[in-house]
Amino acid sequence: MRKLFQIFSLRIFIHLFILRPFVKLFFGINIQGRENISQLDRYIIVANHNSHLDILLLFCILPVKGILITHPVAAKEYFSKSKLSFYLINFLFSPVWIERGKPQERRDPLKDIKDRLEDRHNVIIFPEGTRGNPGEMKHFKSGIGRLAALYRDIPIVPVFLFGPERVLPKGSNIPLPLWNEVIIAPPHFYQGAHTEITHSLEKIINELEQSVKAFRHKRETVVKKSSITIAVLGIDGSGKSTLSRNLAQNLSVDGVSCLVSDALMFYENNQPKDMQPLITEKIREMIGGYAKKAKSLKFYKIPKLTELLLRDHLLDEIKRWYSTDFIILDGAPLLNLTAWTCLYKEQYFNKNTCSKAIRILTAKGEEFQKSDPIFKQFPELSSLKYLKLNHLKLPDVVIFLDVESAIACKRIDKRGEKKQVHETEEKLGKLREAYKLVCNVILEDWNIPTISIDGNKTVEDVVAETENYLKKFLKENADGK
Amino acid sequence: MFGELPKLTILVVFLILTLLYAIRFILRKEIPFVSYINYLWIYFLIFSVAEIFSFKIAVWILAILCFWSLREYFSLIDIRLQDRWGIIGAYLSIPFMIYYIQIDWYGMFIVSIPVYAFLMIPFLIAIGGKESKGIIFSTGAIDFGMFLFVYCLGHIGYLALYSRWMAIMLITNVVICDIITYFIQKKTIPVLKSIMLKYFISSPFTVLMTVLLSNWTTIPTGHSISLGLMIPVLIIIGNHTINYIKFDLGIDEKNMCPGRGAVIDNMKSIFYSAPVVFHYIRYFLK
Repeated sequence: MRKLFQIFSLRIFIHLFILRPFVKLFFGINIQGRENISQLDRYIIVANHNSHLDILLLFCILPVKGILITHPVAAKEYFSKSKLSFYLINFLFSPVWIERGKPQERRDPLKDIKDRLEDRHNVIIFPEGTRGNPGEMKHFKSGIGRLAALYRDIPIVPVFLFGPERVLPKGSNIPLPLWNEVIIAPPHFYQGAHTEITHSLEKIINELEQSVKAFRHKRETVVKKSSITIAVLGIDGSGKSTLSRNLAQNLSVDGVSCLVSDALMFYENNQPKDMQPLITEKIREMIGGYAKKAKSLKFYKIPKLTELLLRDHLLDEIKRWYSTDFIILDGAPLLNLTAWTCLYKEQYFNKNTCSKAIRILTAKGEEFQKSDPIFKQFPELSSLKYLKLNHLKLPDVVIFLDVESAIACKRIDKRGEKKQVHETEEKLGKLREAYKLVCNVILEDWNIPTISIDGNKTVEDVVAETENYLKKFLKENADGK
Repeated sequence: MFGELPKLTILVVFLILTLLYAIRFILRKEIPFVSYINYLWIYFLIFSVAEIFSFKIAVWILAILCFWSLREYFSLIDIRLQDRWGIIGAYLSIPFMIYYIQIDWYGMFIVSIPVYAFLMIPFLIAIGGKESKGIIFSTGAIDFGMFLFVYCLGHIGYLALYSRWMAIMLITNVVICDIITYFIQKKTIPVLKSIMLKYFISSPFTVLMTVLLSNWTTIPTGHSISLGLMIPVLIIIGNHTINYIKFDLGIDEKNMCPGRGAVIDNMKSIFYSAPVVFHYIRYFLK
């Protein structure tokens, strides 16, 4: 009869029909692992302590029969400041009061808790002692270990509370409506010394904390990785698109790689990756299409120049938005631009002008006056400089695929597509010489590692050779940094 | 008899949705998309309460919906200790906005959040603490959440004040687009193509739906067609955008529950479409 009366007591009514709905509707509470506690009759709950709300949340997870016989452990002098709140807390939660800061009495601080446990009642303990700074966990005090060592038949339930440190942190009075997570670990029975028990409980709760916080939104900005730009040069039909595609796929094992070819592709773990589209890329594709359809070199020039400049701009955008580990360029914009001048202005094309042009195009040639002969020979350079389009970037590594123009021509014939204007044996031969010269200049003037690879071999051989070289370069690069 | 038909339809839809819940509760069977139907049920609860009792009560149910979605957003973002007053201000903007809808004070409704609350919240954050680092990001995050989850959602209330069926027309279009989006999202297609695909598949259905409902929404056929073409664009854009925001908030698609992205995920299509549709109707038809 007395038990029945207890079930319908005012305290249970307030807990079930006022406090729990209030917590659920106003704050919001997610309980994980409720089945770990609902079957137990006796238990010691161990939780992290961040805010006054903790006790309220822990009473939400208790089974109904446990509401009257569970006592949180609380410090008396903190709550006894105001009489009303002391009375309310005493009525709702009936805590075990611990008096701190009175060493002269010399009585066992755990005595009250032991009394309750002897009466087959349950306790809630915050082993951190006091509320710490929001979101930080202190080391557990040894009391819980001593208690668990005394009562080895009572299961200990570790609980992690996430959220109350934001709802009602130390030092603020107004609770904010924000969701709380309560994660209940399976009950434990402990053997062994009390220090071990304390450590193991601390470890369990720390692990729960890590598992919850892993996916949380963090405000820190992403640290940008510096990406390595690899340029693959070569005349049309030398197999540079195949090589660069293979490289992009193979390098993507170590990180995200990006292939700037006719289309923009991203790879991760040998698989193509879907990324947010770039508007620059769409424009570039369109202009590249015009260039391919051109009927003569004269009409080819402007679209190709625009495409190359856009391709260079694209490099910037890739570095800015995606921060990939590797960028593989199917033809570097700057080097292509320089080498291509030989088709238009063959008479002026030599090592000296080439070096000057690269200096101007990378915005480092400030020392050249307007009257410099290079601007007369190549008026495009001065217009590019005037339009401030001369901020092209040099690649980190250059790979030159050396193929004889006759073989390249045959390969192009095999594709069966419509030929572009410059794809004749004579012009490709000239281009090849120009590329060689540019590679030399790059190596000598700028100290950029350059390798010339014989493109007559099979694809596998070429890829393997390039990869060996790149691995060496990457290792040196990592050591240097 | 026929004059009562629109009113009855709302109630019937509401009853069907309630019945689904009852079946789930009695048979203990899991219905697919149960959390989505949840929010559909709340919308129809708002409309039926507005039809049976009064709009004044119904609009406060919308306030609860605003509060829930805003609360989930604030629970997921990384807030500083100093932002607490700003967050309280953002919560307080809900009752004010809902009150302006209730008394049909359009001018105040439209400026209350973008002018007064937007200016107030940085001030509240600034008096909240001495630490100035990070205030810009806090202001941006809190203002954005309030704008999306309170202001944009509030437009549904004002639309329902004009005509219940205009709001229901919007909700049905959202449902159509969400179903189509759900089936297309499973396949891996490039982003722009999948957006185009979603639009071209859903727009015939939405046009059909708006034209069919045009008798009850009292929108002329021409405007119905243009709304039917416009709404899927907004829904799909909004859907895509909120998906990106969801990704940053760390919402895990596999174990979503209320408080961990379920509210935002189920309502994501409405945030972009509600204000624009409301202003379209207000400009052309009021």
